[in-house]
Amino acid sequence: MWFGSVDLSEISCTEVLEEIELYIDGELESDRAAHLAEHLRTCSPCMRHAEFQAKLKDIVRTKCRSETPEHLMVRIRVMLRRQDPRPE
Amino acid sequence: MYSAAYRLTRNPSDAEDLVQETFLRAYRAFHQFEPGTNLKAWLYRILTNTFINSYRKRQREPQTVSDEEIADWYLYSKMNEAGLEPSAENSVIESLPDEEVQEALSSLPEQFRIAVLLADVEGFSYKQIAEITDVPIGTVMSRLHRGRKALQKRLWDVVRERGLVRD
Repeated sequence: MWFGSVDLSEISCTEVLEEIELYIDGELESDRAAHLAEHLRTCSPCMRHAEFQAKLKDIVRTKCRSETPEHLMVRIRVMLRRQDPRPE
Repeated sequence: MYSAAYRLTRNPSDAEDLVQETFLRAYRAFHQFEPGTNLKAWLYRILTNTFINSYRKRQREPQTVSDEEIADWYLYSKMNEAGLEPSAENSVIESLPDEEVQEALSSLPEQFRIAVLLADVEGFSYKQIAEITDVPIGTVMSRLHRGRKALQKRLWDVVRERGLVRD
């Protein structure tokens, strides 16, 4: 199957799983990413797997953020104000 | 930046000191910053270097675990083996308490922790992580893959301990 100038056929589930991390991280070339996206669209086991890995990445991002304490921001502002002018 | 410092130092007081020191070093070295390059990546490079050079020595590093016997996609496979319905596995990981996920990340060996933190929490690209940590991109990919595997193993332990699925 062709999509524009990109051949979307000939990609196996094994290949998809090998590259799924790169795909989710946005590190694949756009042609290759289009191949994977097309495979995922038509292969529900791979899609389920990919959705889980993407969800996990998102959960790590959202659950591992800690609010910066207000007193730290004050401390840093005071510290920087006390510094001599930056070296040229 | 405080989140990253907290995940690295694993305690709030050291995290505050690390952030403060990072800003001080950045201020003093600002003439070395190249305009047009990524300021956030530059700051995180100072942060990780300061952590490695000053704070790490004070800390007990988590025991290094061999990740060779951890299968790829560990958490997903275990969830499937537990017979969860499609999409139920997403709800299970969503229900994990923040502190447990933070603890799982903090417990990873340093190089893995830094790679996962920079990619997944801070959203840096592989190329940026390579520049921040001063290693080749291939090393970043390897650390990230192994770090995520180890993280999945720890999260599975949490899922099981909390009885979120039948083992």
